[in-house]
Parts: sequence; structure tokens; C-alpha cells
Amino acid sequence: MNYPFWYIPHLGSGWVIGIIAIFHVMISQFAVGGGFYLPIAERKALRMKDPDLRSAWVKQLASHSKFFFILTGVFGTVSGVGIWFAIGLTHPEATSTLIHNFVFGWAMEWVFFLVELTTAAVYYYTWNRIDEKLHLTVGWVYAGASAATLIIINGILAFMLTPGDTWLAVAGTGAEASKFWNAFFNPTYWPSLLLRVCVCTSLAGVWALITSSRMDGDKQPALKTSMVKWSVAWLVPSFVATPFLMVWYLFMVPASQRALLTLGIDTINSGTFSTVTRMALVIIVTSATIVGVAYFLAYRNPTDFNLSHAIAVLLLALIVTGAGEYSREMLRKPYVIGRWMYSNGVRVPYVSRINAQGYLVTSSWVWGSAGVATTSYSRGEAIFRGECGSCHTLDGYRPLRQLLDGRDRANIRNFIVMLHQNKDDSPYKKFMPPMVGTEQDVNDLTDFLNAQVNPPVPAGQKPLLTAQK
Amino acid sequence: MTSKTASIYDWVDERLGLTELADFARHKTVPVHAQSFWYYWGGISLFLFLVQCFTGVLLLVYYHPGADAYESVRQITFVMHFGWLIRSAHSWSANLMIFSILVHMFSVYFMKAYRKPREFGWLSGMALLGVASVFGFSGYLLPMDDLSYFATKVGLQIPAAIPWIGPIIGNMLRGGLEVNEFTVQRFFALHVVVLPALFLPLFGFHLWLVQRHGNAMPPAEEARPFLQRKTMPFFPNFLRKDLAMWLISLNILALLSSVFPWSLGKQADMLVPAPQGIHPEWYFMSPFEMLKLLGMVKWLQGEPGEIAGILIFTLGILLWVLIPFYDTSKESGRRGRAAHYFGLIAVSALLATTAIGYWTIR
Repeated sequence: MNYPFWYIPHLGSGWVIGIIAIFHVMISQFAVGGGFYLPIAERKALRMKDPDLRSAWVKQLASHSKFFFILTGVFGTVSGVGIWFAIGLTHPEATSTLIHNFVFGWAMEWVFFLVELTTAAVYYYTWNRIDEKLHLTVGWVYAGASAATLIIINGILAFMLTPGDTWLAVAGTGAEASKFWNAFFNPTYWPSLLLRVCVCTSLAGVWALITSSRMDGDKQPALKTSMVKWSVAWLVPSFVATPFLMVWYLFMVPASQRALLTLGIDTINSGTFSTVTRMALVIIVTSATIVGVAYFLAYRNPTDFNLSHAIAVLLLALIVTGAGEYSREMLRKPYVIGRWMYSNGVRVPYVSRINAQGYLVTSSWVWGSAGVATTSYSRGEAIFRGECGSCHTLDGYRPLRQLLDGRDRANIRNFIVMLHQNKDDSPYKKFMPPMVGTEQDVNDLTDFLNAQVNPPVPAGQKPLLTAQK
Repeated sequence: MTSKTASIYDWVDERLGLTELADFARHKTVPVHAQSFWYYWGGISLFLFLVQCFTGVLLLVYYHPGADAYESVRQITFVMHFGWLIRSAHSWSANLMIFSILVHMFSVYFMKAYRKPREFGWLSGMALLGVASVFGFSGYLLPMDDLSYFATKVGLQIPAAIPWIGPIIGNMLRGGLEVNEFTVQRFFALHVVVLPALFLPLFGFHLWLVQRHGNAMPPAEEARPFLQRKTMPFFPNFLRKDLAMWLISLNILALLSSVFPWSLGKQADMLVPAPQGIHPEWYFMSPFEMLKLLGMVKWLQGEPGEIAGILIFTLGILLWVLIPFYDTSKESGRRGRAAHYFGLIAVSALLATTAIGYWTIR
């Protein structure tokens, strides 16, 4: 049930969200972790007995807070709006469900955003202009507000993986919002929150290494040494706690989705689809690399630690963040909202109705009126965009032309029928939604895909894009 | 150190001279300047070679050369637990190793680190690159899928184009007139016995020379007064950074192997025509394309074009290898500048022909 006009060739619409989201997470989680880093570092500086080191720390922290303010205030907020834009286009049904359930949660979040943005500006502009204690208090207010944003958004993100039985019992009745707190404090809420707290503290250290690396180690060895070492220490809690939290998190995920992880361990054959396993490997290896690289390059050689080294650590952190977010998304397969909505926007209980009435007539945005001339190919293209387009492209990411290569029309049809039947023993059931629709829909989709895999494509065919229902 | 650890250390030290070695490493220094980054590439190549050895031995346990080659690789990839990962790591690290050796070579070239007294370092390095590329070529055939089979067939056209002796070399490598299971046997023997036996002593020699002469400085750094130059101790400072680079390399390798696992095509079928777009590995694309381009010149079509291509390429490699004997002066005079421009032309030609190669395949 996606917008049929929203098709991103090569890249796929999922990656439009993915790219913006990974960039956003790198900054927004820094906004939370860095929000604690600044007042804790300032308090540490204010307690220093050596006046020279104390004033050098304060000067450096003022410089770091400028970097922090610009990065989070500009890029963090803009990319946050970008996510809304992208999810609204890619997953209109899922976005609608989230808004209907969590509108009050988002209202709270935006209040905290306002407090966050205001206090970040006040904190930066009032260095050495107001009383030290008051300045520190502003820092703590910022930290509290930014933590609140994490606490709220985590509930909504974790809900998408594990909405919980209580919410699922009322889903589709119109009374979903009455179970707001059940949906919010869902089974993966706490492990997910603690995992994100770990990521936030790590990113606070990683980004602080960027500004610390700019100090001249020859001219200010004591300052650079203390600052770099202290920033590296922010990576330690996450390194120690993450493995345990990860196990807890996975334990709370339904067994059917957890099985996706083991699917990829044994072989590449079935594992081809279980990229989540491979992403998990990337997370483990890269997290260990970050700690090793930070230890060798920063902790043991603080005065030589330069911007290239810091960027290397940052890029590694980007890999972990990207792989982490990707894994979280993949673990939800075949749903976009666990057990309630498939990743192509079809609600689980609607499957039988769509199978009886047809996909196009039940799709909100596709021209399905009587009297409109359509062909099997054009209907097939609309079905492809609606049912397949949120995960597949034709010749880029998860390319159907390549995945179906070597199959003739009958073979393609058999494959679609297998997806349509969605039997328990089908290996695809674990990570792909069923193909929904009537037999005519199956034939239409077959015709469209067959023309892509075994050209020529019928000339002059246009997809059904206009909303005239 | 506790007394027990100290006594164990003393016992080993007395026999192996660990303290002496640590003192030596501590006194050894590495120049610090704007180009220091390039010093890590030799170490990265070494690390990737070690990965090759480790993953290669694991693959060796299950791989069957000869007629069963494809089936054994299929089992490694699709049946063995984590077999796909080990095979991917082996293939990716091979490519990354060739890449890092090339970066190492060009950085040595442009830093003019081949000049006296480092001529043997340069020559042994070039020999190592040669052996590494044969490692790559021989390893590529071993899975015997359609891509590796036809790419090897195409690749063997290069040595076979050498006048007079080319066909003999071609037949010797193939074990006959066609690429088949006998070729796999030969390439396997080359890959796991002959080439390591050549590589390891050469590599030991190369490392000994690096140790003997130390890191070369680029000409701009050499021109600075001695007191203005910065250095860092090899042990522990440089070694720590080296280890960090190894970790980063391992990470990139893990990322590539996990996210882009090495594929296995259909079993090679000698009776079907070659699929479209068959081409050699990227590091052989440049000579392959040069031969193709020369063959397009009107008066060089056919055999004369192939011979001209081989001659030009051989001459280029010869000039490249013998550069220490041409650009000998410490001062950057006319010869030094000529060598520099030659290097730039070589890099541009390599990149351009490789890009054209991939572009025309599309």
C-alpha cells in the first residue's frame, strides 16, 4: 500500500530513509551523549586545582560546544525533518499508524526539542558571561532535555519491532491510542534504550576526539593528553555493556525474527537474504576495532593524535551506526510494524480481504475506476510499485531483474504464486511479505516482471499513477 | 613484573636476547613529516598477506583441485559453516593486498625511496608485486566457475601473444591446448607451493633491507636541516600506529567480506560460448586494454598489434623496474624531474586504460 508514484530507481526508497537516518543518528545520538559530556567535562574543569589547566580546559570546552551547537543544531535538526519527509513518502501507512498512536508522544518530544535547542544556544553564547554555576546548570538542563528526546523516540522505534500483545489486541479497532503506554513500554523498550545510551556515550567520545585532535600537542601537551584520554574513556562503558545488552535485546525479539540471525550463519545460500547476520558481524568487528584504534592511536599517543586519526575513528563509528540501524531494520522483516503491518504497508489482517477483492481496488492511491483502459502490464507495474517497491528495485538495490534472471514466464509466475500462498514451509516467509491480490493480480505482476526479465517491454505502457478514486 | 614472571622473562631473555631486541627497536626511529602516512602501506600489505595465509590454509582443508574443484568450492560456499566468510575474506584480501602493494610501490616511487642505497629494496619489491599478481591470477581460476574459466582463458592470451615462445608458455601453463582440470592442477601447485616458496624468501630479503636502511625520506624532507627533522621511536610509537592501521584494514576486510560476499557462478562449461563482458581481474585490466587498443590501430591489426602491445608494455615495465639506475642523484635535477613525470604518466596510463576497459565492457 505504498504510493505508486514514489519509486526510486537503482537506490530504492528504503535507502532514501536509510541514508538520511544513519546521518541523523550519528548526530542526534551525539546530541544526547555530548549533552552529558559537556557539563560533566565542565564540572571536572571547574574542580581542577591547576589554574592554567583549568582555563585551558574551559577554553577547549567552549570551542567544542561551538562545534556541538552547529553540528546538532543545524545538521541534526535538518536531517530529523528529512526523516519525516522520507518515511512519509516511503511508508505512508506505517507513518500514519505511528502518528495515530503516538501523536501525544511526539508532542512531548517537540517540547523537549525546543528546550534542547534553546539551552544549546544559551550554553554556547554564555561561556564566561554568566556565573560558572549557572552556566553549568544550563548545561545540565540541556542534558536532561536531550535525554528526554531519546527516552521518547526510543519507545516509538522499539514499538515498530515489538508492538506487544496488548496493543496488537486492539490494533485496527480504532482504540489503539488507549494502549499508548503499553505500546510505548513494549518488550524491547528497556534493552533498546540502554543500547542507545551506550551508543550516545560512545559518540560523545568519538566526536570529542575530533575537536581534541585539533589541539597542538607540541604546544599544549598536558591539555591535549588529558583531553584526549578523557574522551577515549567515554568509549569504555559501551564496549563493556553492549554485548550483554545485545543478548538481552535479542532475547526480547520474537523467536521467528531472531531466527533471521541464524539463517545467515550457516550458509550464504539462505544467508543471502539474511544480511542481518552479516551486519551483526560488521558491528562486532568494527566495535572492537574502534576500541583498539582509539587505544593505540589516541590513548597511548595522545599528543600525536591528529585529525586524520580522529576521522578514522569517526568513520569506523559511522560503519557501526550504519550497520546497527540496518540490522534493526532487517530484524523487523517481514514487517514494518511487528506482526501488524508487512514491510510493503499491507496490514496483516487485510490480506484475506485483498486476496478476495484485488490489490488495485483496495489500494488508496491507484487508479482503479471502472471504464479506465488498463493493460496487464500497466496494472502489473502498479502492483510492483505498491507491493515490491519498498524493498526492491529493478536493477539496483535488491534488483528483481537480477534476482529473477534465468527464469521464464511460467517460472516467474510459480515464484509469485509461492509468495502469494505464503506457506509455512516457504523459506521466503521468514523475511518477505506475502504477495497479496487475486489471481488476476498474480498474472499482472507476472506479465510486468516477465517483460523486465525477458524483454522486450511492451511499448507505450504507462503505470497507473493518478489518484482519481 | 612479579618475581615469577621476571624469572621466566630472564630465562627466555638469556636464550633469545629479548632485551637486546627491545633496545634495538626502541632506538630505531621513523621520520615524521607530512608524507608519513605512506609508510604504513608496506605494513598493511604484510598484514593482508598474513590474512591470505590464514584463510588460504583453511580453504586448503576442503578444496579439491582437478575435476572436483567447482564442487568443493560450492560446498565451502554453501554448506560449510562460515565457509562463505573465509572464502570471501581470502578473495577480498587478495585484491586489497594487490591494491596496497600498488599504493606502496607508487608512494616509494614518488618519495624516490629507490635511490642509493635502496636499489635492492625496490627490485625485491617489484619482484614481490610480480609474484603477488601471479598469486592472484592462479587463484582466480581455482573455483572453476564460468567467470574464472573464461577470464583465465582471456588472461592467458597475454603471455601467449609473446612472439615465438608465447604459445609454448601458454600450453605449459594450461597443461594442453585448452583450460581444463589439468590447468587447475597446475595453477593449484603454483598457488600453494611454488609461489609461496618464491614469495617468502623474497619477502624476508625485502624486510631485512627495510630494516637495514630504514625509512626513506621524501626529497623535500631530506633538504631540511637535520635539527628541524622530527622522528618517532619505532617501538612502541610507530608500532602502535601500525597496529591501529592493521586493525582498520581488518575492519575494511570484514566489512567487504560480510556485506559483499564473493559470489560463485555456474560451473564452467567449455562447450558453451563465453558469456558477455568477460574480462580479467582489475589489476590485469590495463595490459589487457592496452593490447585491445593497439589492436584497433589500422596498421597494427592482428598479430602485429599484439606484438607491439607486448613490446610497449615490457619496455614500460623494464623502465619502471630500472628506475634506480637512471634517477641516481640525491639532488632533484633534470633526471629526477624526468623520473617524476614518467611516474605521473605511468599512473595516468594505468588508470585511464583500466577505466576505458571497464567502460567498454559495460
